[in-house]
Amino acid sequence: MARQVPLRELAWARSGDKGDVSNIGVMAKTPAAYAILKRYLTAAIVKAHFAGIVKGEVVRYDLDNLQSLEFVMRNALGGGATRTLMMDQTGKAFGPNLLRLVLMVED
Amino acid sequence: MKSIRVGCGSASWGDMLDPAVELAERGDVQYIGFDHLAELTMSILQRMKQKDPTRGYIPDLVPWMKRLLPVARDKGIRMLTNAGGANVEAAGDAVAHLASSLGHTGLKLGLVFGDDVLPRIQEFRAQGVKFHNLDTGEEDIDRIADRIVSANAYIGSEGQIQALAERADVVITGRATDSSVHIAPMVHEFGWATDDWNLMGAAIAIGHIIECSSGCAGGMSNFWKDIAEPWRVAFPIAEIYENGDVVITKAAGSGRMVTEWTVKEHLVYEVHDPTRYLMADGVADFSACRVETVGPDRVKVTGFKGTPRPDTLKLCLGYEDGWIGESEISVCWPDAYEKAQFCETFLRGRFAALKLPITEMRVDFIGLNSIHGPLATLPRALEDLNEVRVRVAVRTTSKEHANLVRREVTHLWTHGPVGTTAVISPPPPRQVISLWPTLVPRELVPQTMVMKEVR
Repeated sequence: MARQVPLRELAWARSGDKGDVSNIGVMAKTPAAYAILKRYLTAAIVKAHFAGIVKGEVVRYDLDNLQSLEFVMRNALGGGATRTLMMDQTGKAFGPNLLRLVLMVED
Repeated sequence: MKSIRVGCGSASWGDMLDPAVELAERGDVQYIGFDHLAELTMSILQRMKQKDPTRGYIPDLVPWMKRLLPVARDKGIRMLTNAGGANVEAAGDAVAHLASSLGHTGLKLGLVFGDDVLPRIQEFRAQGVKFHNLDTGEEDIDRIADRIVSANAYIGSEGQIQALAERADVVITGRATDSSVHIAPMVHEFGWATDDWNLMGAAIAIGHIIECSSGCAGGMSNFWKDIAEPWRVAFPIAEIYENGDVVITKAAGSGRMVTEWTVKEHLVYEVHDPTRYLMADGVADFSACRVETVGPDRVKVTGFKGTPRPDTLKLCLGYEDGWIGESEISVCWPDAYEKAQFCETFLRGRFAALKLPITEMRVDFIGLNSIHGPLATLPRALEDLNEVRVRVAVRTTSKEHANLVRREVTHLWTHGPVGTTAVISPPPPRQVISLWPTLVPRELVPQTMVMKEVR
């Protein structure tokens, strides 16, 4: 049976910027949570979540040693901190924004 | 095993001074590294230098040194900073003048040059160098060539290492990488070969962990609720061992915390491919490191690896790219949400009527959607909203056009809905400096170090 699990129950997140690229480090709260993240928190899901904000590709890197996933999102900050009209010029709030996501998890 | 303690004294222009002083006084550190530069900073500093050849470095440098030099001299702490910004020479003069006035004669200042390649861009192009844009994919800079205001390569630690070898007490550089001010002391003290790529990987990773000051010690943290006294900000100390292991800690008795979580938060911060964290000094690989608590506010990190440094350096060109006008005003209960929408309609209509040439426009309702944008969910009972702050930002072609934005927002004060208020002081129009991130062959950007002794 599939159930809904809010990402914020599974992980912490911290985000930032380099030019027009924002990245989000997603840190699993437990090993069991990390297993769920690895399976369900795909780059495609993250890209779809940020529709209307992130214009470019989203790539995921896995850090099994830190039980963390790194998401790198291109064309994400309205041209980058020095030229963007966004209030969150440096993507600091992208992490919390990702935590709005609710995953559909199969038991 | 030999170890050294390196503190981080700053993460950016405008960072807090007193945690750096606390580090110096009570941190038992031999070195403090300061990063003061962000991507936009070099363009701002280059402008300052163009207006006044004695400026162009981080203005905080002088008051910072005024507080820190006496402690550092007393304890034998050596300091490294990239606050030289766009004018390392003037920064050296200013610090020398200050040190002299404080009586620190004989102080040795190591000045490291080489990052500023603005005067050499034409020469590079004549040699056939192309500046491929890493963000947009554009081949070369023809489109922006006549609007470039800054060109700084992210240089590594070589010049700083040389300065330490020649007994500099204070090292001042320009756009050296954030982590280089922490890497140089490790290489200098341990005699690490700068082509031992695993050790350089460790040095880069350790520099990365501490380079954002409180970023690994409770700043920007998911664990903010665990902070009992928010005002007691602590800056981190890396206790580095000769084999490349490190314990991240902080000054005895200082506030906040260093935990496995706060260190992990920074390990994943502003990193792209974690197996290839590219810096001028090498390429760090975070994928095999282990993080473990070894005591109160002591977190050990081991197992960093590395691969050879790239043949190119990152080069950031800043160029003039139009103007931004922005302004805010508040609307209140009752019907605050509808009033905010009224303001948006008013502004869009006014800008159209005035034929404002708009390249891009954004309206935010602060308190509702200004941070999380289209993903923000609106409160169910919109009619209960006490207030909304309306913010408009417009990208346009000239200062005069940008200035119209604040004039029109101010007009809402008297020509908008009842109770519209709090226009406060709208920010002046701001010229946009866009960045063109690219690469430059390393051999075209040599570093030089000049030692200056305070008389």
